[in-house]
Amino acid sequence: MTLLDVRGLDAFYGDFQALFDLTLDVDALETVALIGANGAGKSTFLRCLVGLMSARRGEISFAGEPIAGQPAERISRLGLSLVPEGRLLFPSLTVEENLLMGALNQRPGSWTLARVFELFPILRERRRQRPDALSGGQQHMVAIGRALMSNPKLLLCDEISLGLAPLVVDQIYESLDRIRAEGASIVLVEQDVKRAAGAADRVYCLLKGRITLHGPARGLGLDQLSRAYFGT
Amino acid sequence: MIWVETIVNGTLYGGLYGLLGVGLALIVGVMRVVNLSHGEFIVLSAFIGVSLVGAVPWVHPLLLIVPVAVIAFALGFGLQAVLINRVVTRPDPFAAILLTFGVAVVMRNLMVEVFGADPRTLPAGRLAQASAGVFGLHVGVLPIIILALSIVLFTGLQLVLTRTRFGRIVRATADHRDVVRLMGVNPGRVYNVVMGLSLALASVAGMLLAMRSSFTPYSGVERLLISFEVVVLGGLGTFWGAMLGGITLGIAELVGLRFDTNAGPLYAHLLFLIGVLLRPNGLFRARS
Repeated sequence: MTLLDVRGLDAFYGDFQALFDLTLDVDALETVALIGANGAGKSTFLRCLVGLMSARRGEISFAGEPIAGQPAERISRLGLSLVPEGRLLFPSLTVEENLLMGALNQRPGSWTLARVFELFPILRERRRQRPDALSGGQQHMVAIGRALMSNPKLLLCDEISLGLAPLVVDQIYESLDRIRAEGASIVLVEQDVKRAAGAADRVYCLLKGRITLHGPARGLGLDQLSRAYFGT
Repeated sequence: MIWVETIVNGTLYGGLYGLLGVGLALIVGVMRVVNLSHGEFIVLSAFIGVSLVGAVPWVHPLLLIVPVAVIAFALGFGLQAVLINRVVTRPDPFAAILLTFGVAVVMRNLMVEVFGADPRTLPAGRLAQASAGVFGLHVGVLPIIILALSIVLFTGLQLVLTRTRFGRIVRATADHRDVVRLMGVNPGRVYNVVMGLSLALASVAGMLLAMRSSFTPYSGVERLLISFEVVVLGGLGTFWGAMLGGITLGIAELVGLRFDTNAGPLYAHLLFLIGVLLRPNGLFRARS
């Protein structure tokens, strides 16, 4: 069953066109990796999905409902949740308060504060601290936990391995398995091609705002991938 | 002894100044917007108070603070929803400054039209003259009530912002107004309530100030100036800083009056100038 269906999406920053005729779909319980170099338009694409980009053309439907042009605060209530690039935690709030912000739209589901602390036990110890007292990896955990608190049908992860030690990235990626087991689909936006392709069912490759490759994650040749990635 | 008395009275007076500024500090802290019509709303609340006293003369003016604050909350909510939310998300802060400046000018002239330009005061009855002897000092009863009320309101605001769900949403919106939208929060609605709170607090200060000294439709500029100094002295966007900034200004003004009966406020403004030169980030902001 198709959960997310994007057709012919164009996006603009002023006169600059960032996305060209992008078509992409995500099935229920599927993990899709969206890879591409810096500036390929990956984050722009996610901003379009969650309703933070107003200058765009094309159709986006989520869980059977057209969401293009809807305000972000409404889209979030449908079960589309973003772990933003750079985490964007609330520095004036404690870790626990940050997590509780995710629960504001009161979507029913299995994710609660206790379950997030179970997933990332270190956050329970740090619950009263401010995010800037945490390590980069722990801050990523807060950002993921905050997104989970709304019990999303689709979790959008923007560069969750960026700037982290490999061991910490392993830990974060392991948590994705648990998240899938709770019944969420995941879109992984990554620059780390191998890591993303390893965790995903299908891969889309983005180059300068266009999809240059798309297919099942297994069976993608490395040279094929690098051609799509670098455009050589 | 007279100096101790002056400083005590300055402290009591300064609580009121703090209250004038805290609403502005709230707006600056949450929206990064300066409301240049803050002073006009303070004066308008005093006019509403005077009108209410005329309508229900048997109720003590101190009790009328409650309905005036409710009206001010509604006005702030409306001002934000109808006007300021249109410009607040622009990257250029100048739009909001010009807009609120325009609101201030229109309000000032409307107040002259409706209430006239004569100086008014809010009669506080016997309370205005009552004084209490504390350790041999003569301290006014009204100023004590004013300081107590300021402290209660400051503490209340602090508790609301740090302990409640609403406070959490306000702080998060102040941090990242785009990100809260991903959690289903409409920042504009948060701003409406925050502006309501800001002007409700300012209206309490406006009523209390009107019991101590007279005001005209043109007093808004002066009120705004004090509010500004309080906010900047205390450190932009900090609440207890605003309270301490207010008290500092209050003491400076009364001590100044002892030196020179014509120019009390001058000393407060001079102190402000020196404070800003020495500690541009505010006297009471922790160094980071």
